[in-house]
Amino acid sequence: MNTDTTIEPWGPQGGEPPNGSTQPPQATQPPGGSQLQMSWLAPIGMIGLSITNFIFRILTLGIYDFWARTEVRKRLWSSVRLHGEPLVYTGTGKELFLGFLIVFGLILLPMLIITTSLMIALGPDTAAAGAVQLVLYVVIFFLFGIAVYRAQRYRLLRTTWRGIRGSMEGSSMTYAITYFLTMLLIPFTAGWIIPWRSTKLQSIITNDARFGDRPFSFKGGSGPLYGPFAVLWFGAMIISGIAFSAIGLIVTYMQQAYGADARSIDGQWNPEVAGVVGVTSMLIVAIAYLLYLLLSAWYRSRTINHFAQCTHFENANFNGRVTGAGLLWIDLTNLLIQIVGALFVILCVVAIFLMLSIIFAGIIGFPTDAALNPQHAAVFTSVAAPIFLLIVALSFTFLLPVTQARSMGYLINHLDLEGTIPLDQIAQSAAADVNVGEGLAQAFDVDAF
Amino acid sequence: MSMHSDLYHKRFEARFSDGKTAGSHEVTAELTARGIAITTETGAAPLIWPYGALATSEPLSQHAIDALVTYSHQPGATLFVPGPRFARSLAELAPGLTTRAERWRTVTPWLWGTAALVALSVLVWMANLSPARTIATMLPDSIRETMGRQVVRSMSNNRKVCNDPQGSTALKDLTAKLSQATASDTDFNVTVIDWGLVNAFATPGENIVLTRGLLESAQGPDEVAAVLAHEMGHGLEMHPETGLVRAMGLSAALELMMGGSGGTLGNAGLLLLQLSYSREAEREADDHALRILKEASISPKGFASFFERMHKKSGGHEGGLGSGLGDMLSTHPQTDERLSKTLAQGHYPSKPSLSDAQWEALQAICASSEKLQ
Repeated sequence: MNTDTTIEPWGPQGGEPPNGSTQPPQATQPPGGSQLQMSWLAPIGMIGLSITNFIFRILTLGIYDFWARTEVRKRLWSSVRLHGEPLVYTGTGKELFLGFLIVFGLILLPMLIITTSLMIALGPDTAAAGAVQLVLYVVIFFLFGIAVYRAQRYRLLRTTWRGIRGSMEGSSMTYAITYFLTMLLIPFTAGWIIPWRSTKLQSIITNDARFGDRPFSFKGGSGPLYGPFAVLWFGAMIISGIAFSAIGLIVTYMQQAYGADARSIDGQWNPEVAGVVGVTSMLIVAIAYLLYLLLSAWYRSRTINHFAQCTHFENANFNGRVTGAGLLWIDLTNLLIQIVGALFVILCVVAIFLMLSIIFAGIIGFPTDAALNPQHAAVFTSVAAPIFLLIVALSFTFLLPVTQARSMGYLINHLDLEGTIPLDQIAQSAAADVNVGEGLAQAFDVDAF
Repeated sequence: MSMHSDLYHKRFEARFSDGKTAGSHEVTAELTARGIAITTETGAAPLIWPYGALATSEPLSQHAIDALVTYSHQPGATLFVPGPRFARSLAELAPGLTTRAERWRTVTPWLWGTAALVALSVLVWMANLSPARTIATMLPDSIRETMGRQVVRSMSNNRKVCNDPQGSTALKDLTAKLSQATASDTDFNVTVIDWGLVNAFATPGENIVLTRGLLESAQGPDEVAAVLAHEMGHGLEMHPETGLVRAMGLSAALELMMGGSGGTLGNAGLLLLQLSYSREAEREADDHALRILKEASISPKGFASFFERMHKKSGGHEGGLGSGLGDMLSTHPQTDERLSKTLAQGHYPSKPSLSDAQWEALQAICASSEKLQ
């Protein structure tokens, strides 16, 4: 064990004082630190949690969402094990709620009011209104960078392991400026700045990150990403080239096969020709899109693995074994799960609605004429329809806890921590705390978990 | 506490971290009547963590396979106990740490809040209060005017405004006649849009929009006068302003409810609410219309015939002016009610609202048109 540090588990209020001569027994750190095994312990009961959260969200008109998110995060964080011991999420629903209220009141609402009143004063088609719109977009994209950084910081501050908390030291401005300026360059470089940009942004976040009083560091450049990016870029070109030529070939072939019958005198396509061309081109576009998705998932996997490799903490670094096929499989199956969840919710709502109508019809009598009583129609319009819309809009988030657990599980299962970490030497950080959550990020929907 | 005696005095292997460094060491945890007793293996006096001041990293569920416990008086320190047995016993001894307890603790205030909100809404509705209307009446004229211009602009959707000089003069005559009859010193401004759809709507700031389609389908000037009087009724009651304020308030509330991602939903709600006025509002507009027509010595027959024709045209169901989604969402009063109201006006001396020449000019107002200013 490392004898540089003394472990003193007995806090001031912790009951009996420590026995003077007692050295804490057996800590597990060999000199130079210990190897930490990172693992994923799939959470149980996420479907049940989805159902409870969804019902509570409806019953509280959506407000419970902040607490629902928090409970999901607590379960997800707890499934990540280092040395068999869980990461702990210490954030609260109240913090997320306050963070959102602050952003809503101080940024979103004023922005909405200012633009709306300017639009009304200047008129929607004028150059001045266009300028206002442009300024607004600039502000939003700038705020987006700040939101990403602050969300990351909040989550790190609210993550502990063995009671030691993470933090970020640095300013969200540096990140936001880099984010914004490099984004402007994307169209001018035909996308070729993307690998450099994402590496730069990742390195800012990583180098600012701390666990306890020790920094993470990002060692490496964007060089290794340019090969995969070239494959993605030219691959996308080739795929779309082939797809367009294939569609062209089919059109030509059909024209030749039908000769003069391909079009009628007034230039309309023969319906048979139009049908064949329509179906085959749709098929070709679908296949091309799937190929592109596979290619981009592969690029994404290379990026994740590269970033993992570059991320160092003490004498350890991460090693990623993520694959493109794996990512694509998780994404597609998650999409399927979300669709199934949404359909299930909508079916339930329709069933409940029908049941209620039958019950009400039983109480107040079935309408004698076929037309809906306008009084009831008014109730339907002002009460039932908005509620139905709210539920349908929320239904796509119904199984989000399940899909989030799958994504996070895949990632953790394909990341290893290699090397050693001198755990006994890592002390609690003195970094300033924040006490409200990631409002901006939530407003812009940037958080994945 | 004797009921829990079967849970006590079991010893669990655990790991303890003091929260000062990321190191940890093995300890024994024991559930006792006073709390969790944590003992190092060297046999030092145990540390006691009372059940009432504990927290767990995640709420204890029946699926728990281990537990990570913290103690509020010793911040940073963590006790990790693997295995489901400890977690389940702890859930019995400290029921406040279970999933169910934590959930109800956070959701209860919001459930009451929602119930109160629903109750308040029902109360406001039953007492016939309209906060939106109160706000609408407080808006200064200049704002209502600009709001009206924007609504006309967005609804006309780049269509042209009809401005044939003779037709415009006829329309001005009719508008002035009806405006005077409103018994308020409000000047209405009527715009005709070159649009085939049969429609008419009042917008904020005493603006009224008619479509070419409506002028073409009207059988005589008295019918147009009736429609104008009806829309003036909406204007006098500030229905358009109220509708806009209500829609804005509702979309802001929805935005708040959806955690900032309710943009689309907000718009849908906006659409639903803007589609039609309530039956009550339509009745008010009708009452104004019949009063205005009487004051202007215009026969109410045009009122009855136009709305009845619109009613038949929409397939015998409710509908007609201002309803875009068919009868399901429309709230216009029944035609029977309108007919009986018209009959109740009785006979009064009336003259045509426009001369034949003026009526011809009005119908041809779209002979020339210009882009909306």
